[in-house]
Formats: sequence, structure tokens, C-alpha cells
Amino acid sequence: MVDGDDAAAAGATEQIRADTTAGPGRRRMMRGLLSCAAALALAPVVAASRPAPPAAGGDSFDETYRGRRIQGVRLPEAGRSTSDDAWRITIDGRPLHLMRRADGTWLSMVDHYTSYRTPLEAARAAVDELGPGQRLSDLSPDPLDGMLPDGVKDMMGRMGLTVDTGGMGGMDMSGGGGTGAPVPDMGMGAGGRHGVRA
Amino acid sequence: MAYVRKNAGALTATERKRFVDAVLEVKRRGEYDEFVRTHVAYFAADGETQLRTAHMAPSFLPWHRRFLLDMENALRRVDGSVTLPYWDWTRDRTATSVPWTKDLLGGNGRRSDQQVTTGPFAYATGNWTIKVGVTDGRYLTRDLGRAASPIQLPTKDDVSWALNDPVYDVKPWDSTVTQGFRNKLEGWGTGSGSASWHNHNRVHRWVGGAMLGAASVNDPVFWLHHAYLDMQWERWQQAHSSHRYLPAAPPGTGDAQHGRVVARHDKLPPWSDTPDQLENMSGVYRYE
Repeated sequence: MVDGDDAAAAGATEQIRADTTAGPGRRRMMRGLLSCAAALALAPVVAASRPAPPAAGGDSFDETYRGRRIQGVRLPEAGRSTSDDAWRITIDGRPLHLMRRADGTWLSMVDHYTSYRTPLEAARAAVDELGPGQRLSDLSPDPLDGMLPDGVKDMMGRMGLTVDTGGMGGMDMSGGGGTGAPVPDMGMGAGGRHGVRA
Repeated sequence: MAYVRKNAGALTATERKRFVDAVLEVKRRGEYDEFVRTHVAYFAADGETQLRTAHMAPSFLPWHRRFLLDMENALRRVDGSVTLPYWDWTRDRTATSVPWTKDLLGGNGRRSDQQVTTGPFAYATGNWTIKVGVTDGRYLTRDLGRAASPIQLPTKDDVSWALNDPVYDVKPWDSTVTQGFRNKLEGWGTGSGSASWHNHNRVHRWVGGAMLGAASVNDPVFWLHHAYLDMQWERWQQAHSSHRYLPAAPPGTGDAQHGRVVARHDKLPPWSDTPDQLENMSGVYRYE
């Protein structure tokens, strides 16, 4: 298995194509780009089965809150590039992307206009907003933000891409001629973000 | 000649219908979901080091102004008579007042799952399926006033608190500043919880459901809310005519905000316009 950095670096030379819908092509590409990194990142979550207190200072938590399984693990310092602290959070196994405010508080994709003192509080607040039967979607822009280079993260975020942690196989790094800079192929016509330009 | 953006409550029945029909057509064409994606992609928080454009930054106002113009242009390609209405939440403050009527945006979500079941954006109409959402739910959700833990919309005094600050924005140009018109209107407070829900943020929270998440654009009230905020920027300019968008120049290389905020003459991604070029809209539209 390649490590996270190698996988990301290989992926960075991949020609990226985004469709207007989350088609199988894009999903396969993202799986290839991220599956190894995801496996590494999620391994500690599986190992951490004891409930942890919400207080800052813990490195993981795993609890059932209002019928939802909330799991979180602090990412190792070595992989971080943009933040002094980064967490991998899932709700019922689906990644919940968190953002950090300059004052150290946290906000999630579900609850984007309020911030919370800890990742666990932000995750619980997200559960509070989830309707019955609803699950998190794959919208979160950069669930592996602690482990990917800024360029790839930025690219993913702008394209609304995320990792599909449901599939760990199928490395698909067949993009040819990867000698250029990690610039995504934005040839997506009206489907791209440039399509909103007036 | 400049067109007029009206208070949603002042629209005639015909104007309401034409606005709604144009929004539905923009959705049908697939353009609407691109607006949702763009807003998701450009929400960067200030605890991270990348360029911030849409939120937690001075360009909160010009970014959304430009975003609204793109949407308004999309609507006007469908129907040239349509403009974006605004929702004055300091006046229309209940879950049954404008714009929550059946002939405009429809009403509150139902209690069981927050699903909007009335009006033109109800899932059952077949015209408003959420395709780019934070959850896998495919219907629009609202929780007007937050039934489980009620909050109030911001008041006229809350807006005045922002309008009365003569300085557009202050260092470090992020969500932690306690002075400056921009963040007093955007609404990030110090600390967490209820302290961080002022004007703009508090309205997103009061509407709830889709409006609370990264994909808030899925609720068409997003446009009416931001049109009202855009109008406040114009009011602030009129009240403090010697003051302008700040920062006037990019933070220097030794500044922690270097490369992270858009200065007055910098291009504002994803567009090529600058805040300077977006300060005066009098040749394009006016509010009444």
C-alpha cells in the first residue's frame, strides 16, 4: 500500500474531470485518489471503541447521540498542512466535514452559520439538524484535508468533490501524461463553476 | 437604465408568479444547482490558510452582490421582467408572513421531517428536487423560528448597530473582529453558540433546514435574504459617504492575512471583478 502522501501525489497528476452529477467516472477517480489515504485515516476510528469525554484534549470519541453513531479522531500532526488541529468525524459512518474558525471553534457542513467549542459539539449539533432517515451526503469538500496538499484540497473543494469511503479498492491512476502541474481539467462547459458566470 | 429590486411584500400577484416561474426554469435548466455548488465551494473558514472570499472576510458583501447578479441575470434570461425581490426580516417576522406564502416561497417545513410541503418549491410538485445537498434528503427543509429551541429574527436595532459603524471592516479582516460594518452585518460573534448568531448568520439559523447548511442556496429565500443584506450595504454607503471598502490595499507579506483576503482592487474569485468595481450598482439596479 502506498502511503497517503504518495497516493495524493499520484492523484495530483491525474486528469480530473467533474461531471454535473456524481457519476461513476468521478467517483471511481476519487476512490482511486483517496482510498489509501482514507484507509489510513479511518483505521484509528475503528480501533477506538471506548466513549471519550467531549472535553478538548481527547484524541478520539465514539458515542451514540440521539440514535446516531458519532465517531471522531484527531489526525496525527504530521499530516496537517493548514490547521493546528484537524479531526476526522463520521456520523453513522458518513464523513462530516468540519471547518475551523480563527477563534478555534468549529463549524460543520450541516450547521454552517454557527460554531462550536469542540469537534464533538459540532458533530452533535449536526445530528440535531439531521431529519429522520437522512444521512450525510458526499458534499463535504475536503474530508481528508489534513492529509492532502493544498492544491489538491483546493481543487477538490472548488469542485465539490469528496472521498467515497465506502469503496477501498480499485486504484485507478491511469491518467496519462501526468507531467504538468496539478491543474484540474475544467473542461466541463456549463457544468463547471465557471458556468455560473453571467 | 437601472432596474428595480422590490420588497417581496410589494410584488403584485403577477410579479410573484413570474419570479417563481423564472426560478423554477433556472432550476429546470440545471443552472440553479451550479449556484449551489459555487456557494459550497467558496465557503472557506478563517481558521484555515486559504483565500477567503464569500464568508468571514471583507468581500462577504461584494462576493454575494456578484453572486446575486449572476442569479438575477439567469432569471432575466428566462423572463426579462424579473428582478430579485428582497425580504425585510426586520418587518416580516413570522412563519406565515411574506415571503412564506403559497404563491411565493411556500411555508414552513412540517414538524415530522421539516419537509416543505406547500407552495411552488414543495417536493411533491416535482419541480424542486435537491440535487446538491448536505444530506441525501431530496426535499427542501425549513424549521422557521426553530421549533425545538425558538429564536427571533434580528431586529431593526440589530441592523442599525451594523449600519452605524462608519468603518467598513477592520484587521484582521475575519470572523473575530468586533468592529466594522461587514462583520456586524455578517454576524460572527466572539465565542460560540448563540453569541455567534447576529444579523446574517441569525437569519440563516432562523430559517433552518437547508438554509443552515453549506448548501443554503437550495432554499430560494437565500436570494431574498442576501438582497436585503445587499441593500444594507447601499444604505451604509449613503450614511457614510466618505468611507469605502477595506482593505484598500492587500495585506503585506509579513501580515498573517497576506494572500487570504481580497483588497479593494483585487479580483474577486471566481469572477474578474474587483470590490472597487462592485461598490456602485446605481447603473444596474436600485432598491425601492
